[in-house]
Amino acid sequence: MLGKGVVGGGGGTKAPKPSFVSYVRPEEIHTNEKEVTEKEVTLHLLPGEQLLCEASTVLKYVQEDSCQHGVYGRLVCTDFKIAFLGDDESALDNDETQFKNKVIGENDITLHCVDQIYGVFDEKKKTLFGQLKKYPEKLIIHCKDLRVFQFCLRYTKEEEVKRIVSGIIHHTQAPKLLKRLFLFSYATAAQNNTVTDPKNHTVMFDTLKDWCWELERTKGNMKYKAVSVNEGYKVCERLPAYFVVPTPLPEENVQRFQGHGIPIWCWSCHNGSALLKMSALPKEQDDGILQIQKSFLDGIYKTIHRPPYEVVKTEDLSSNFLSLQEIQTAYSKFKQLFLIDNSTEFWDTDIKWFSLLESSSWLDIIRRCLKKAIEITECMEAQNMNVLLLEENASDLCCLISSLVQLMMDPHCRTRIGFQSLIQKEWVMGGHCFLDRCNHLRQNDKEEVPVFLLFLDCVWQLVHQHPPAFEFTETYLTVLSDSLYIPIFSTFFFNSPHQKDTNMHQRQLSLPLTQSKSSPKRGFFREETDHLIKNLLGKRISKLINSSDELQDNFREFYDSWHSKSTDYHGLLLPHIEGPEIKVWAQRYLRWIPEAQILGGGQVATMSKLLEMMEEVQSLQEKIDERHHSQQAPQAEGPCLLRNSARLSSLFPFALLQRHSSKPVLPTSGWKALGDEDDLAKREDEFVDLGDV
Amino acid sequence: MWWGGRGQSFNIAPQKEEPEMGSVQENRMPEPRSRQPSSCLASRCLPGEQILAWAPGVRKGLEPELSGTLICTNFRVTFQPCGWQWNQDTPLNSEYDFALVNIGRLEAVSGLSRVQLLRPGSLHKFIPEEILIHGRDFRLLRVGFEAGGLEPQAFQVTMAIVQARAQSNQAQQYSGITLSKAGQGSGSRKPPIPLMETAEDWETERKKQAARGWRVSTVNERFDVATSLPRYFWVPNRILDSEVRRAYGHFHQGRGPRLSWHHPGGSDLLRCGGFYTASDPNKEDIRAVELMLQAGHSDVVLVDTMDELPSLADVQLAHLRLRALCLPDSSVAEDKWLSALEGTRWLDYVRACLRKASDISVLVTSRVRSVILQERGDRDLNGLLSSLVQLLSAPEARTLFGFQSLVQREWVAAGHPFLTRLGGTGASEEAPVFLLFLDCVWQLLQQFPADFEFSEFFLLALHDSVRVPDTLTFLRNTPWERGKQSGQLNSYTQVYTPGYSQPPAGNSFNLQLSVWDWDLRYSNAQILQFQNPGYDPEHCPDSWLPRPQPSFMVPGPPSSVWLFSRGALTPLNQLCPWRDSPSLLAVSSRWLPRPAISSESLADQEWGLPSHWGACPLPPGLLLPGYLGPQIRLWRRCYLRGRPEVQMGLSALTVSGLQDELSHLQELLRKWTPRISPEDHSKKRDPHTILNPTEIAGILKGRAEGDLG
Repeated sequence: MLGKGVVGGGGGTKAPKPSFVSYVRPEEIHTNEKEVTEKEVTLHLLPGEQLLCEASTVLKYVQEDSCQHGVYGRLVCTDFKIAFLGDDESALDNDETQFKNKVIGENDITLHCVDQIYGVFDEKKKTLFGQLKKYPEKLIIHCKDLRVFQFCLRYTKEEEVKRIVSGIIHHTQAPKLLKRLFLFSYATAAQNNTVTDPKNHTVMFDTLKDWCWELERTKGNMKYKAVSVNEGYKVCERLPAYFVVPTPLPEENVQRFQGHGIPIWCWSCHNGSALLKMSALPKEQDDGILQIQKSFLDGIYKTIHRPPYEVVKTEDLSSNFLSLQEIQTAYSKFKQLFLIDNSTEFWDTDIKWFSLLESSSWLDIIRRCLKKAIEITECMEAQNMNVLLLEENASDLCCLISSLVQLMMDPHCRTRIGFQSLIQKEWVMGGHCFLDRCNHLRQNDKEEVPVFLLFLDCVWQLVHQHPPAFEFTETYLTVLSDSLYIPIFSTFFFNSPHQKDTNMHQRQLSLPLTQSKSSPKRGFFREETDHLIKNLLGKRISKLINSSDELQDNFREFYDSWHSKSTDYHGLLLPHIEGPEIKVWAQRYLRWIPEAQILGGGQVATMSKLLEMMEEVQSLQEKIDERHHSQQAPQAEGPCLLRNSARLSSLFPFALLQRHSSKPVLPTSGWKALGDEDDLAKREDEFVDLGDV
Repeated sequence: MWWGGRGQSFNIAPQKEEPEMGSVQENRMPEPRSRQPSSCLASRCLPGEQILAWAPGVRKGLEPELSGTLICTNFRVTFQPCGWQWNQDTPLNSEYDFALVNIGRLEAVSGLSRVQLLRPGSLHKFIPEEILIHGRDFRLLRVGFEAGGLEPQAFQVTMAIVQARAQSNQAQQYSGITLSKAGQGSGSRKPPIPLMETAEDWETERKKQAARGWRVSTVNERFDVATSLPRYFWVPNRILDSEVRRAYGHFHQGRGPRLSWHHPGGSDLLRCGGFYTASDPNKEDIRAVELMLQAGHSDVVLVDTMDELPSLADVQLAHLRLRALCLPDSSVAEDKWLSALEGTRWLDYVRACLRKASDISVLVTSRVRSVILQERGDRDLNGLLSSLVQLLSAPEARTLFGFQSLVQREWVAAGHPFLTRLGGTGASEEAPVFLLFLDCVWQLLQQFPADFEFSEFFLLALHDSVRVPDTLTFLRNTPWERGKQSGQLNSYTQVYTPGYSQPPAGNSFNLQLSVWDWDLRYSNAQILQFQNPGYDPEHCPDSWLPRPQPSFMVPGPPSSVWLFSRGALTPLNQLCPWRDSPSLLAVSSRWLPRPAISSESLADQEWGLPSHWGACPLPPGLLLPGYLGPQIRLWRRCYLRGRPEVQMGLSALTVSGLQDELSHLQELLRKWTPRISPEDHSKKRDPHTILNPTEIAGILKGRAEGDLG
């Protein structure tokens, strides 16, 4: 095999214990080296991407059960990604190329996706950062999408090791300037011609019209108005250029404290109650200023307490709820359960899986978020109250809770377009600091809090519990979570709309949420897979929420009574939050762990069956229509999807990229014909003959 | 009318009559009182069943509330909703039947106080307003009693339940329903599933498996080899019945090696009891034993079944803990739920079973060999493992028919002591091994949703059937007892006739109903839900044609003998323990987690290859389950049924969405095609029943094409 080496003992009964050390004999390398030179694997560069450094004869370990195997190749670092070039791309079969990620290859790690880098020195694993005195013999890269890569540098030339290791560390770990983001070089180089499809597009909320449209959609335009007081970011840089406030609020109030202390409209419920958010006024010591602040707030409260406004309930998210610190700690514990260097480590955690999971308390945090959202939903839906979310900057938990509430109450948000518009409205325009929270610039590790990921995980719980209520599937969410770390989309790379507008001059840039790249999925997979992402079963959701006439004054009663009725997927949707109901987003967290793969099983097994049935239904429908109208309509061929892929794995569509599965995959030779009967009895190895003879 | 639905085992949507319920409810309330319930209900009683007390009540906790009658008999407690008699064609009610042995906890509520009833007499000053029956099968029945002159009745029925439950601990010899009692047609009826009580059944099954080196032995026809063994079983061709009899004497309780399943690739899966170490067999006996174990293969693997699997006591303890955890008022905080679940160890045991079964399937599939499951008693975990292995390796076993035959063969006929294990004869040897098996099957169903013809509902129905005293399937410990009972019931049955070969028609033996007669307790709508709509015919047995294998008998001793234990094969010097060294299996191995197993899966050992060949497919038909922590889940629809707030599973929802669309299409088609051809007519169903989407699609397609052409 070209460029491939096998390390360690074979798979016999007495295989060596797994360890980090490789046992390659020098002659093996020698032969392999020759082969490597014979074959050129080309590096695909995106427009604007530049090669920074590279090293050859790097051995990439393949996660295996018993022994460590490796593949030789080149390790390169560009200003966009770290890539390993070794695999023979042509070996991929049709299915694999069909579902191949268009931007990120199997062995590509975008620089922003790198979480931690470890070096192995004399079998000891150490975190690598800064200037190194000694270079490791093995490099372990943990990614933010939970992949783990291991590269052996023992057979690489010393200068190359130095160059590549320091290059990788510098480009992934060192603080960066915003201007140096790959995003900008890509934008300049790739002058995308945007084709705007007026229908079916994500509302960006960057124009006054978009906000008016949203007000009209939710029937909030009676009591709230869109204002353009911050046009050109004159008032403050934190807020979007356009936003919505209660109608009687004087515009000069907005300017008083640079937008702080202003109730900003998020969404209106069918019964007229609204969800508002407000960033807290700056903390002051001076009594005089405090007095001014107090009277200012009194004025504000008077405005929104007076009819026609409903009674206001204030939810202070910065004092009585989760702290960002908690979220950060929980996630860093939680992700360790899935970042696995070798299988032994995985099996060690396996025995205590549930208690380890529990001790990370990530699932509990999800539960608390969902619970808070249900409480607020209850206030609005059952008690007809306005809810005012309060947070220091109104840009972290505010975004999370208000999006969750809208997702539960507004069926429009459960369509793909609606969900993307929601993210655009609450997170991007809401000023969530993606740049800091994802730590894209590596400037402050303490600011790195996966709030958006927490949101996606909460949404996943809802999707998982009520799949027919959503137009999109968990695969969509997984792909969306990955796009947080791909710096060709500008959506998740700025702290505020102001920052984006002042830095991005090319408006025609590909964004995962804009119409030109209408779904991140479209950017990831080929169009044929559209069906997989878009839940075909989620029907057009257009009905307004059914009005419920019960008034409950208590969360539990609201929750219980909702769950004891049958679910209307086009109406109010509440998640279950009991202990057994909050689950691990297996697709995202387990997809790179070969041990967790179920060949021929998992959700995708029914999915393909469902798609087949859908096709059948569609063709029947067409026939019926044809008959009904007595017209000769052209026969539309349904997309032939997954047809030829016999048995997919539970990790599909990610598993196809995971080519080296460790689950018992039978040797092809073993299933060959066995020859005639006489031979058979004599043969020592009696392989069962089940192959196609 | 509405029954079942949310909170119950089935997913049946309310039908059109449902809105009437409210209005009818009040009118009907006094009805049970005015009628003499014993007379109208007596026809629904089992033979020997007597109504002890009854009271009108309202089922609570679920929407909508349902009024009916709570009846206590000497066998069971049952709640009969009003109107149920008229609308259902099933003689027994499956949703609200609680066999007395099934009652795990009983609570009476009055005002704000709640009393747990343990003994008769603990209820003296207490008129219950509501009674809560917690089933050991995780079901919960809440019945509220109406005020207004009926308190004495409520009191009576509660007392009766307490009393009957206390007395039911003595083993009750339920006789089961006979055909005439069930009000069915005349006797010309074949059991839906071969009961494996005749030699023909065994012969048919043997032929189906193409086990050419095997024959049906009649040596146990009179149950004189072992009462716990079936009347017939499979032994190698070349072994004489006399040899079988002698060889079996050297096994624990006479349970010698028999064929469980013949792999189409040529391997044989055998099961047997432990070697009876005290016996001193002569040379010929040892040879016979060895020949039987070897089964003509040169490669023999002895599997120590007990190794790495939980003991019976472990299973029982885990099940008790799980039940405590899943009680609606369990005090476990939400954020401690996962560790509490882990603490029950139930999922660990499920995992261990799956892991071992997966290993054994690899052993059976990878080479042609004889694999022997050996458990001391051969009546518990052997059945569990051999059934799981067959489910994993034989697509045939994953059909509804195949699965039921599998359970009938490997559990019922093979003599799993159901009555003892399910607590029918006191608590001492209780261990729900069969329920553990069902949980394992459910895990497989979750992992391979397209590979099973039956659905979760079917498993639930089976789960709920184990303690219901209507058929003998699960209420006896041995095939002998089962045969004896049916013999008593039908005095002219020729139970002990050798060479049993009467045609099924006219044979009263076949009148005995089994649990597989689902229409006894389940309505047609429910039975339709036993079908898994996601079953993908691409993987169905038709495409899986077993290739005939040469039946090569290897003369002489086997060339390699292995012991499979701790996930690894170790060479054995000999198969039988008697020659010089003590049995390896005499050392009881406790269940322990395999130390860092992992690093080496059995499959890798077996196929030990470099892993660069890429993802090539598994042999057709073989499933390898995941058994990692994150992959093993809690069977919520079963275990959390008692919790009203926990919504039932969601598995069928996407499919049901599609079903809606299909029935909509069907509706449209019907509108435009008033003329229905005869063959379509046969397939036409009640629009309210849940339809199997594949069938609909088929029908629709056929019609549409017919119309076009």
